[in-house]
Amino acid sequence: MRRSQILTFVAALAVPGIALAAEPGGGEGWLKPFAAIAAGIGMALAAGLCGLGQGRAVASAVDAMARQPGAAGRIQLAMIIGLALIESLALYVLVMGVLLLFVKWPA
Amino acid sequence: MGALEHPPILSLPGIPEHVTYMWVAMAILIAIAFAASWRVELVPRGAQNFMELVLEQHLTLIDDVIGPAGRPYLPLLATLGLFILVANLLGLVPGLVAPTANVNTTAACALIVFVTYHAIGIRTQGARAYARHFMGPIPWLAPLMIPIEVFTHLARPLSLSLRLFGNMTGGHILLAVFFFLMGFDGMLGWALRGSLGGIVLGGPAALLMAAFTVGFVYPLKLLVAFLQAFIFVILAAIYIALAIEAAEPHH
Repeated sequence: MRRSQILTFVAALAVPGIALAAEPGGGEGWLKPFAAIAAGIGMALAAGLCGLGQGRAVASAVDAMARQPGAAGRIQLAMIIGLALIESLALYVLVMGVLLLFVKWPA
Repeated sequence: MGALEHPPILSLPGIPEHVTYMWVAMAILIAIAFAASWRVELVPRGAQNFMELVLEQHLTLIDDVIGPAGRPYLPLLATLGLFILVANLLGLVPGLVAPTANVNTTAACALIVFVTYHAIGIRTQGARAYARHFMGPIPWLAPLMIPIEVFTHLARPLSLSLRLFGNMTGGHILLAVFFFLMGFDGMLGWALRGSLGGIVLGGPAALLMAAFTVGFVYPLKLLVAFLQAFIFVILAAIYIALAIEAAEPHH
């Protein structure tokens, strides 16, 4: 990405910070705008990368099942376990997002 | 998020709802167990047949993952599996709450697995041999292996509890958002308010969302309920297998 794009993106992230600084003495819930941005971007990244990872896992599993139909049961079991483990990584981000958005953090 | 809820049907005063519904799940399981073992017959029929099938599937799983040495641990794994399954399924009924949608319940199950697999390892191999397998295959690699092993072991109950909790709560939030969007505060309310745009757009949108919820979201939640119980049991079996198998010489 070009440097101007990166700088524009970082500047957009700084807008809530400037708005909050203008408030008299950090108001109640200073975390809220940043929490929303963080939860949204984090969950989007996690879901996308989890999709990529699970796609690779299923692709290899299906390839292996096509090569050796006799072992299809065991391969399917390993695929299910692998998918659940990859999925849990995206779930940690979901839990963190819910934590950021719905817990009343002390100022 | 509280505004998206409706209070659960059964609520005892002073007792948190995840505890109440854990008791409901226990009552259901005890009732099924009584029905299955009331009169035990050689050729099983009905509830006994069903429960024998379920337990045989668990035994097959244990044989696959741990081997015959794992058969004494069938009560633990089957209890965990059946309890988590019933608890997950309770969350599908509107008006009931899944106890596993609360991190306390899932953390309790995960802690049970954690303490148990260490106890199994220590009892099978002896405390010194079990502690020695923390140091890895080569002795002078120990200062590197020990922190990695400790971190891995600590991550296991964390991941077990958060995986189950996140799946259940995520499905719950999804369903709550759908009901909000298509209910009397959303599409349906828009249609019922009588404006032309409401009837033309809101009505079909509400119908479409209802069809989507019943046809896709509910089956997905059902699948996730079964899958997460299965994953919990199989991961617990894998941890027990790892705790036992270090007794064999590495090859």
